[in-house]
Amino acid sequence: MEYEPPVEAYSGVVREVTIGKGKKSLKIGGENILPFHFFDQGSNPNPAKFALEIIDMEPQDWAQHLVEPFKDVIADPVKWAKKCEEFGADAVFLRLVSTDPAVKDSSADGAADIAKKVAEAIDVPLIIYGSGDDRKDAEVLPKVAEACDGMNLLIGPVQKENYEVVGKTLLDHGHNASALSPLDINLLKELNVKLCKFFPAEKIVIDPESAALGYGMEYSFSLMERVKQIGIITKDNMTMMPIIADLGAECWKTKQAKESKEQGLLWEGITVLSLLLAGANILVLRHPETLKLVKETIETR
Amino acid sequence: MVIIGENIHVIAQAISTAIKERDAKVIQDLAKAETKAGANYIDLNVGPMKKDTEETMEWLVNTVQEASDLPLSIDTMNPEAMEAGLKACKKRPLLNSASGKSLSKEQMLPLAKKYNSDVVISVITDKGMPPDVDSKIESIMDTVTYANELGIPNEDIWVDPIILPVSTAGEGQRFAVVCLEFINILQDVLPEIKSTVGLSNVSNGVPDDLRPLLNRTYAVMLDRNGLYSAIADPLDEEFMNLIQGKMPEIVELIYRTMDGEDIDLSSLSPKEVEYVKTAKVLTGENLYSDAWLES
Repeated sequence: MEYEPPVEAYSGVVREVTIGKGKKSLKIGGENILPFHFFDQGSNPNPAKFALEIIDMEPQDWAQHLVEPFKDVIADPVKWAKKCEEFGADAVFLRLVSTDPAVKDSSADGAADIAKKVAEAIDVPLIIYGSGDDRKDAEVLPKVAEACDGMNLLIGPVQKENYEVVGKTLLDHGHNASALSPLDINLLKELNVKLCKFFPAEKIVIDPESAALGYGMEYSFSLMERVKQIGIITKDNMTMMPIIADLGAECWKTKQAKESKEQGLLWEGITVLSLLLAGANILVLRHPETLKLVKETIETR
Repeated sequence: MVIIGENIHVIAQAISTAIKERDAKVIQDLAKAETKAGANYIDLNVGPMKKDTEETMEWLVNTVQEASDLPLSIDTMNPEAMEAGLKACKKRPLLNSASGKSLSKEQMLPLAKKYNSDVVISVITDKGMPPDVDSKIESIMDTVTYANELGIPNEDIWVDPIILPVSTAGEGQRFAVVCLEFINILQDVLPEIKSTVGLSNVSNGVPDDLRPLLNRTYAVMLDRNGLYSAIADPLDEEFMNLIQGKMPEIVELIYRTMDGEDIDLSSLSPKEVEYVKTAKVLTGENLYSDAWLES
């Protein structure tokens, strides 16, 4: 008797989100199949993308081996961003760390200025994150959205505490929203439901929070997996959005990554590959050699 | 469904104060209100009760019995308080609750025999909370067998599968479904056995104004599967109407949702839509969020 492998077909489709405009754009999402289920029915028109992270000030606490690839440009976000492009990043991720009240509390206007300069200087799309301080982000992100009017960037983190203010300006200036909730599928859905009352679901990316290997990565893994399954299998309208895994910063905070370069690359690389398997659509890394390592691994699978 | 009124509960500050100050009126007003609303039992949840245990319990039971003819459910983890409570009851009381934990088997179950009371037995054992239907059944069969050997017959045992909050990240909805299935097969496994649940726990952690809707809907679903009784709020009029068969259209809608029917929401009233959406959360069909009515 001939064996016929069972083939699953799914009913849900992840919404396709475009970040950037024209030549400077990329698409994420759009799949109607679980991650890496090549054996099932359905397809993923947009394989996962990789962004390299830069910050808006010279890093204070980065390990020497993480600074090394950028050492000549690290004081200038524009040059740093261009360097990321040279390293083959699909997108640049700019985190406005200096605006954090606990760091430099730098001004919203200054941050908007840097964001605009970076966005204009590079030929790949830009993702912009505030510091994560929800109150300060409610001042900073609207200015950033305005300065980059019409560029269709991905901006976040939009959180439960500030989604009304931030979401509205993102909409007014034609951007996508990255909606962040703290590692909880029920809260994640709630934020999407509330955001979708005035913000188009087609322009939302889910940030479920990405923990590093050894520091809770398994929670992020299970959560992403579940978001994907509930979207693709049960067709839940409020989880059928692409997922961003903002993991580089988490990985390079760890003792292990700071200790040695080899360890750091592997720490970040394993986290990337794991969350990729869980279903992340765009992943944010810090080290260009991790990016190279991951791309090689995927190509030789 | 037999309703065990949950309102006299020591976690409520007013009750705790009333007990401490021996303020009979506060307690009696509530007992009267529960009786009038149609409760079948009055639950006296006194917590661990570390001070003046016997005297306090006796006072509380007598205070309530002066105001209501309903039988009482003595709800405490403290065996001393339990015994004092059972002893003071004029009508056949309900011991709430025992479990499969060794200590409970040694201290609580013999009291049920001694005072010839009905007894709530939960599925919890020394190993903790059994997570799925099979392990719940296995645990409860062990404990019920133990109780039978003490001379407590199945018809005096009210099994509690332990309801957990549906809003618990990730797992809550699975637990809700597990309890529904458990109640559904319980009678087949243990004939003549009764059942009960702490209903409002299903909505713990949910915004206050939305809690009754979850409690009511879940009660209807459990009722359909054969639940015998629930510790619940008889002062929630809509809840009482629902389980007393006074709102058959809503009940019918909840049943159809349980059966997986694709109901056209546009033909329903806003209230009906809310019940359908809530039932979909409790069957696990729709992922829970605090905004479940809004999507």
